[in-house]
Amino acid sequence: MNGTEQKVVMVPCSGIGKPFGTVAREAAYEVCDSLRPDGTRLVALSKLVLGDDAARNLVRQNPVITIDGCPKMCAATMVKQSGGTVVSESTVFDAFRRHRELKPEGIAELNDPGLQLAQVMAQEIAATVDEIGRSGKMATGDGHG
Amino acid sequence: MSDDLKMTVDKFTFLVHGDRYYSEVGVWAFWMQPQGNNRVRVGLTDYLQQHGGDAAFVIAKPAGTKLAVGDDFAEVETVKTLLVLPSPVNGMIVEINRALEVNPELVNQDPYDKGWIAEIETTQWAADCAKLLDPPAYFSAMKSQVEKELKES
Repeated sequence: MNGTEQKVVMVPCSGIGKPFGTVAREAAYEVCDSLRPDGTRLVALSKLVLGDDAARNLVRQNPVITIDGCPKMCAATMVKQSGGTVVSESTVFDAFRRHRELKPEGIAELNDPGLQLAQVMAQEIAATVDEIGRSGKMATGDGHG
Repeated sequence: MSDDLKMTVDKFTFLVHGDRYYSEVGVWAFWMQPQGNNRVRVGLTDYLQQHGGDAAFVIAKPAGTKLAVGDDFAEVETVKTLLVLPSPVNGMIVEINRALEVNPELVNQDPYDKGWIAEIETTQWAADCAKLLDPPAYFSAMKSQVEKELKES
């Protein structure tokens, strides 16, 4: 992102094969592909785990929103270990506790409640992206760069 | 009855407290007689909480609910499943752990202490206790279950 416009980086859970991780990724795709495509950038957690330089630079030079599946918070932890600044941490687990009727199930294909929960989270995260843009945090996302 | 038992498999460690009794499905019963009453505190075992996963909701039956052995006294909804917990004793619920309404994760973090679920006023503790498993017996049953799961995985 050297010399380019800052974006909010999304790092979702990589829990492939787990419903809560799938909701996290679906929510991230919805924000980055549909709701706020111009202001966001998706980074795969696995790239940070592997030490990919481009991914590490992205989280160091931009404000980051993590979307974890469970309370272990792997995505948030990995971003911090990579030198990034997490400005907002979301977990599917907490979202489910606010919306008990939307229990995610299924792995290859999420059930309807799981997809709805992803939509709910995506809307909340899009609002957070807007807030970050208004708050001036975009200018401080390069603190570790 | 005072020594804790521990089993480690891969990255998982399962603890069985030595001061209480257990049902085969993984509900513990701790007799609070030293505190001067006939209450039994109940909760789920370390093995069951790890098997069930992170708890999102713990819903116990309200105080005043009469229970026979095997009657459901609580539900623990986790990220993986819904655990319906049968009472290990006869009696009546006299108190439930209100902290779990706000912090259900206590059943994961501290299943034998802060994660207790209910207190039951017992009517026949000696008879109920005789049908439960002591710590070595539960540990053995748990170990067999873990080994069976390892073979199947």
